[in-house]
Amino acid sequence: LASIFSGMDPATTSKSNHCLDAAKACNLNDNCKRLRSAYISTCNRELSAAEPCSRRKCHKALRQFFDRVPGEFTFRLLFCSCKDPACAERRRQTIVPFCSYEDKDKPNCLDLRGACRADHLCRSRLADFHTNCQATFQSLTGCPGDNFQACLGSYVGLIGFDITPNYVDASTTSITISPWCSCKGSGNMEEECEKFLRDFTENPCLRNAIQAFGNGTDINVSPKN
Amino acid sequence: SRRKRARARHKPCELRELEVSVSELGLGYKSDETVLFRYCSGTCEAAVRSYDLSLKSMRSRRKIRKEKVRARPCCRPLAYDDDVSFLDAYNRYYTVNELSAKECGCV
Repeated sequence: LASIFSGMDPATTSKSNHCLDAAKACNLNDNCKRLRSAYISTCNRELSAAEPCSRRKCHKALRQFFDRVPGEFTFRLLFCSCKDPACAERRRQTIVPFCSYEDKDKPNCLDLRGACRADHLCRSRLADFHTNCQATFQSLTGCPGDNFQACLGSYVGLIGFDITPNYVDASTTSITISPWCSCKGSGNMEEECEKFLRDFTENPCLRNAIQAFGNGTDINVSPKN
Repeated sequence: SRRKRARARHKPCELRELEVSVSELGLGYKSDETVLFRYCSGTCEAAVRSYDLSLKSMRSRRKIRKEKVRARPCCRPLAYDDDVSFLDAYNRYYTVNELSAKECGCV
């Protein structure tokens, strides 16, 4: 564990960029470098003027990256802590959001959830996320069983599916996560939609887990996969 | 010492590696990302073939005069590494192929 966090001492690193350090660690590991390159080149490949990329292939390559590369690399890339906007933008860019995340219009979140539930794997990953990142007031950390790693692992598990979450901006002070959807046009399901969306956008368990990982303050986080 | 340096210069052809920033590659990309650059270095004295000896002989007998010929093997990549991708300073992703050597030989 010491090696994972070496050089991450905030006192000695006013100019350091932990997200850049995470990219370096990945590039120096053959497996991580290969699979990172695979999803970046897939997600970044322009098909035509009308279609900037193949989202289907991009999602598949992202799933392979997060499935096959150990968490000591992938978690560092996704949950690095940032003090400046350049670092936070790099963190936001991790999943190549213009292809894997953003879209011309924002679907309704409940429609997106419906699309996810139609796929058996997405459905079970989403259920894991709701279980492991369920905000609770019964623990100090806000997470069920104070298990940050389970929450982060389930978050990572959603990447590359219809419900792919990401950082909404490059803010360094507040972390806001959301899938690409809104609750406009929910009709009489508005309340349920907001509740679903808040599990991402206003979830103290998820936020604490990400911050603890970034700061290296959670000594229990020793991701194996 | 001098002897040590001399020996280092006469290492046989092999793969070596350097950690460099993408900007340092000189390919026109601006990025602070670090990549592993593997290259081929070393001597090929042990790999001189009858071809090289004969070519030298032809040249000294002036049977070959105007053409540019190479009468000794050189240490070059036999295979290149997988693609490398990185995010540049303007938040654009790029992928570079055949950046790094994977296997070296005297060819």
